[in-house]
Order: sequence, then structure tokens, then C-alpha cells
Amino acid sequence: DIHIQYERVGADVTMKCGSMDWDATVTWTANGTDIDESHLNGSYLILKNVDLTQSGQYSCYEGSSWHLKYQTYLRVGTPPREPVLMCRSNNYPKGFYCSWHLPTPTYIPNSFNISVIHGTKEMVCEKDAVPKNRCHIRYLQLFSTVKYKVTLTVTNALGKNFTTLTFDEFAIVKPDPPESVVAKPVPNNPRRLEVSWQNPSSWPDPESFPLKFFLRYRPLILDQWQHVELSDGTSHTITDAYAGKEYIIQVAAKDNDIGTWSDWSVAVHATPWTEEPKHLTTEAQITETTSASTSSFMVPPTTKICDKGAVVGSGAVAVCWTAGLVVAAYSVLFI
Amino acid sequence: MAGADSPSAALRRRDLCARGIRLAGKMRSDVVDLLDAYVEQQGLDASASVAAVEGLPPAAVERWDEQTGTQRLLENLAAYRAFRALLAQMLEEQREQLGEADAALGRALAAVLLQVSAFAYHLEELLRLESRGPPSEEEDGPPPQPRGLFEQKLRGLGVLRELAQWAVRSARDLRQLAKPGPGTGSAPSPAES
Repeated sequence: DIHIQYERVGADVTMKCGSMDWDATVTWTANGTDIDESHLNGSYLILKNVDLTQSGQYSCYEGSSWHLKYQTYLRVGTPPREPVLMCRSNNYPKGFYCSWHLPTPTYIPNSFNISVIHGTKEMVCEKDAVPKNRCHIRYLQLFSTVKYKVTLTVTNALGKNFTTLTFDEFAIVKPDPPESVVAKPVPNNPRRLEVSWQNPSSWPDPESFPLKFFLRYRPLILDQWQHVELSDGTSHTITDAYAGKEYIIQVAAKDNDIGTWSDWSVAVHATPWTEEPKHLTTEAQITETTSASTSSFMVPPTTKICDKGAVVGSGAVAVCWTAGLVVAAYSVLFI
Repeated sequence: MAGADSPSAALRRRDLCARGIRLAGKMRSDVVDLLDAYVEQQGLDASASVAAVEGLPPAAVERWDEQTGTQRLLENLAAYRAFRALLAQMLEEQREQLGEADAALGRALAAVLLQVSAFAYHLEELLRLESRGPPSEEEDGPPPQPRGLFEQKLRGLGVLRELAQWAVRSARDLRQLAKPGPGTGSAPSPAES
């Protein structure tokens, strides 16, 4: 017979050696290691104030014959604390899901039971295989003012606990973040970035249930975000980017009418278009072939490295300086 | 009159739907603001549960995705006609209750009533395009029973809450209607996959 014994952390545990008399001579082992006699009261094993490390297999052998008389698995744990429950609809109007977890582990197996009541009607929340601790429910009614009441009960061998969530249909609507966010520079536009994204694939009907979006962006070197709210469309052109600076960009989504904003999407990085340095080489070569008398360097007309708008902090000054140095160096070569 | 599926009818339908969607959005926003003001003015608890209000059309619907375009229009129209009467009654009670203190509330109520009437008109126009024409309005029901002040306030709360739900539903209904595809009229719209 396999016995499993569940005991609370801190409890005093007495194990009997099966049907052996109290005064029988026995040897107890824990995970194969002999237990000192000081823990015995007759043939009973006494464990005081048990802790988690004392979980394991306990065996009792008859004194002389070493026959195994009793074996048990001791599992030390705790009764469950109030579970944490969350319900959300990321696929409105199809349904919603609820997921839960325990704030602290119990160290022993737990079972969960969830009940969902809408008005007087009990609904079935189908458990998901993956992830565990999650179930989903299809909406039978839409646009109802009647609240949903979800009760989660967690039970283990040492006790039980529960929590209840009450909400209305609209309140739990929260889409997944937008997908496939892409940010690209715009050729010949040093202050623009073109951002595009897609509706989250879990949102079943963006035509009838359109999403609106929130875009945030900032150069990596600054902490302050810029925000733009967009009521339709899945693209946007940033027109006030600092030239030459790498940007971090994220997008969030929300149903147009109800619910809350999604989490931010995965961040994408992009740098606005800048003039290619090789243009300077081209100009310098032209200077060489046309006239040896040219004494001043010609700055390529499209060079905007030192554009006023691009100057941000001390970094930009270095850029201007370096560009000037490069141009000057080429000109010196070809005079 | 152009046939239900002619290009001009399709354009008119799309136009009416687009305007209706905008109107529903504005209406919802105004009703939500009105709800906040109403709860505060009337000294109510925002989360108070309200017993079923007689004559209040519930926005809740089963198998919403399977409704035909005509069903949507008819249900919406019946609802907004009912709201027109309920809001008019609320306004009347409002005027009887208090004078100056609730003038702003009364004005907000009247503005919402106007929007509800406008929306009902949009729905009637859309039904005419379906070659169905709107059903004639029902005759006035029996005169309202006298109600205590608190009961009136709770009814008002129920009416506004349900109207806020309807405004959301109506926008969705019109978007379904505006979707290109076979027979938004009598043929069933594609069921949710």
C-alpha cells in the first residue's frame, strides 16, 4: 500500500509503524537513511515542528527481520492562501478567459474549481490544456448590463481558500498588443520615421469591432516619450524625429468604444534617414578633376549634418566638427 | 425609388451607416457623462442594481453575430423609439421634481433625447432602403403610473445605463450592416467562424 501523508509546516507528526505494537522494536528510515532513536517513542516516529526539508519517504522495518512493515510519503506544505484571479477578454466579442495563481506556493498538490455566474445562469469555463490554471468561456449574450461573478476555489489536503471577481462585459475587454510593428526611415527625410503594425491576431473581427491605437516614441538618449493617439489605420509617420538619433517605438491597442488599453507592443528601433558620408568623396573627386585653383572646399548641397533641428545635446556638435574635418581633409588633398 | 441593391442605394446605406456610427459614438459619450451627472445629482450609488424597468428594451442579445441586417435595424428602431418615450417621461418628471438646481441635468437629458430621435430617424431611413420601410409607431401606452421620487430616480438610472449599452451595440450593428457582402437585407450575415 502506498500512503501519502500531508502535514502543515510547523506541525508535530506522529507516524505509526503500520499495525506493529507500540513496544515493538523497529527501525525507521527517511529516504533510505536511518533515523536516530531519539526521534522514536516506542515504535512511533515523532517529528516535531516539521519543515519542508523533511518531506520524503519514511519507512519502518521490523527490528530483527528487517521486513518492511510500513511506508509513507510525507509531504510537508501549507494550506492555500487566497488565490489571485484575473479575467480578460482579448478576443471580444467571442468570449473571455480567466487565469489564476497562488501568491505563495503550498508545496503540495492543489486543485482548482472555477464557477462563472451571469445573473441566474451558471456558465461553464472550459479549462485550457496550456497554460494550466486558465479557462475560457464563450459569451452567450452580448451587450448585457448584468454582471459576471467568477469564483475560484483552491483546495489541497490541508485546507481551502477562494476569491471572487465581479465585472461587467465591457470592463474586462483588453486586446493583445499590436503585432508586427515595423519602423523604417523615410528616404531623403532626416526627421521622419514610418511606423506600421497589424491588429493582434487574437482579435477576431476588427471590422465590426475596430481598434484604436496609441503610439509612443523617444530617442534612446532621452527619457521623455512622445505620444500619438490614432483612431484608425495601422500606420503613422513620425515627422518630428531628431535627425540621426536612434528611436525606440511602441504601439498599444484598445477597442474603439470599450475596455482598456493593451500592454505595449514589442519595442522596435529605427533611425531616421541621414545623408550618406560617401557623397563627400564624390564631390571631392569632382573638385580634383575640374579645377586645381579651387582653394575652398565645396560642401555637398544636401549635407545637413549640422542642421539646427538636428542638434541635440553635445553629441551633435561632435558630428558637425567631424564632418567639417573630413571635408576639409579631402579638400586639402585635392588643392 | 432605387432598388435595395443598386449602387446609389448602396452608397446611401454606407453614408447612413457611417453617420449613424458617429452619432452612436457621440450619443454613448454623452450618455456616459449624463450618467455620472445623474448619479451625483440624484444622490445615487453608481453600482446600485436596478430592478427590471417596465418597457425598457434590454440591449443584451444572444447570437448577435447571426442576426440579419433587417433584424438589427428593427430591434434598434424598436429600442430607440422606446427610449424616446422613456427619456421624454424622465424629462417630465425632472421638471416636476426640482427647478433651478437640475436645470443643467434637464438640458443634458433633452440633448440626449434629441440624439435618440435623430438616431431613430437614421434607422427609419436605413429600413426604407431595405425596401421594407419602418414599422408604424405603436400608439401611446397607458398613462404612466404615479411613482415615488426614489423609484423615479432608480428607473432613470436603469434607463440611462441601458441606453449606454444600446449605443455601443448600435455602433456594432451598423458596422455589421456597412460590411460589403451578400444581402445585408434578408440573407443571413456570415456567422462567426
